Amino acid sequence: MCAEVEETLKRIQTHKGVIGTIVVNAEGIPIRTTLDNSTTVQYAGLLHQLTMKARSTVRDIDPQNDLTFLRIRSKKHEIMVAPDKEYMLIVIQNPSE
Amino acid sequence: MLTDPQDHLAHQFPLEGELRPTFSGLSDFLHRVEDMIVKELAKNAKSHAFDGFDVNWEDQNETVSCKHRLQHLVAQEKGLHVTSISWSCTGSVIACAFGRVDDGDWSAEKSCVCTWNLDRRGLNPKRPNTVIDVARPVMSLSFHPTSPSLIAGGLYSGEVVVWDTNRTQDPVLAQTGMSTDAHREPVYQVAWVPGQRRGEMLVLSAGSGGRVLLWTVDGGSLVLSAGYALVRQQVPHNSSLSKGRGSSNVGVTSLALSPWDSDTFLVGSEGGLVLKCSFSAQELAAAPPDGESVALRAPAQFSFSPRGGPVHSLHYSPFHRNLFVSVGTDGLARLHSLLQPDPLLSLRVSDSYLFGVRWSPTRPLVFAAATGQGLVQIFDLGRKSLRPAATMDQLTSGQPAYCMEFNPCQTDLLAVGNADGSVNIWHLSTELTEQGHRETAQLEQLANEVAE
Repeated sequence: MCAEVEETLKRIQTHKGVIGTIVVNAEGIPIRTTLDNSTTVQYAGLLHQLTMKARSTVRDIDPQNDLTFLRIRSKKHEIMVAPDKEYMLIVIQNPSE
Repeated sequence: MLTDPQDHLAHQFPLEGELRPTFSGLSDFLHRVEDMIVKELAKNAKSHAFDGFDVNWEDQNETVSCKHRLQHLVAQEKGLHVTSISWSCTGSVIACAFGRVDDGDWSAEKSCVCTWNLDRRGLNPKRPNTVIDVARPVMSLSFHPTSPSLIAGGLYSGEVVVWDTNRTQDPVLAQTGMSTDAHREPVYQVAWVPGQRRGEMLVLSAGSGGRVLLWTVDGGSLVLSAGYALVRQQVPHNSSLSKGRGSSNVGVTSLALSPWDSDTFLVGSEGGLVLKCSFSAQELAAAPPDGESVALRAPAQFSFSPRGGPVHSLHYSPFHRNLFVSVGTDGLARLHSLLQPDPLLSLRVSDSYLFGVRWSPTRPLVFAAATGQGLVQIFDLGRKSLRPAATMDQLTSGQPAYCMEFNPCQTDLLAVGNADGSVNIWHLSTELTEQGHRETAQLEQLANEVAE
């Protein structure tokens, strides 16, 4: 089981332009990462909050709807968040590389 | 070639191997999202949807303009030069030191340190908010990194002083006086460095006597805490320089602290040496003892290829741990990697002396150089042309521009101190301050090139 997790993360991480991959649990605590400690903690905390806010925004507008994916495009990167009940996957990509 | 120790550190969190806890459902979750993520990553890599798409969050500033021209008439009448400037940690106050940089015995010349609060209403550029009278010319100045009212200064006489601008009666908080521990020659650089204890800051001073000294504030005195002496015989790889001529002391004209490694610092000398030094060096200096209360150590560990004249200014890149730039009397700006003696790049900035160099705090590829003709030239290493991206005339009728500092908070402000006693505050254009798309990568590429 453990090896499968590592292989999946490796496949994502080695994709073109990917700078970092982080898996966060339901409390917003990072449990796997390819980045250094302090950067990981920063991304995990901030994006967990933002994802929860994005989710409540979608559900407030339409209670039958729900968040499936979150993308943030900035000057330097694109941050992608795949949310779920127990975990959240964060991938940071430099698309132009 | 030296290797970079950072390459060998692995960044894995938490622990590797069997000690990793397993999380139920993690494998299923990743299985569910993998395809979707990989599809989006692939689409992104090929997409042109955002090509050329820019958002203007800030007001765009098209031009470089001089916001203020600060002058202290009393100092100007005496023909004093601005030798050093420093911004307070809040970015609101600029302090300037007056002294003389040209040849001559200025030991009896009285001078001052002036401050202007640029954020205060009713700013009068011809009237400083604070004027501290000093009995001797001040050669270097540095605001405390967290206490906005404390300034350290190095004098022509070798003394080091800390002033507190909040004190109205006598602004001197602590000084070295003329003790046996003090420098005997002008102090060209002062800086604040963290001490052993939490929150403690020491004053570092370096001068043409070849001494780099660390002081603690103790009551009204600066007490010597540690000291280093730079002696010709102890400079590494020094076969190219002649030995035994004149003093064996290596006079320090510039010093730079590394923002990446608190143990390392760079020293530029009167003779054109550029040395990498360490605070934790253990070897004792080969200087004859002169009544100092601490044993002086030899800090130099590595010599970069020497220059043809005094090295007036050095600055570490805020964006790359191995890069620094140096300027001197040969009119060249040299970009160095810490890992090799020869420069990566030598740029002809001016036919005159260069007195100051500073990297931009926001654009990795940009640096500014102050010339002996009173110009500040800004270079953008990302451009194909080696000509300056901007030229700022200090309007000094050809007199030199001696020092420059970027405002630590409002990073598009650059202060320049000149020989005619004026300090100009420049507002840089958005083009010179907003980081480009791939700048950090380009800088990395530059750093990895081996000099021919």
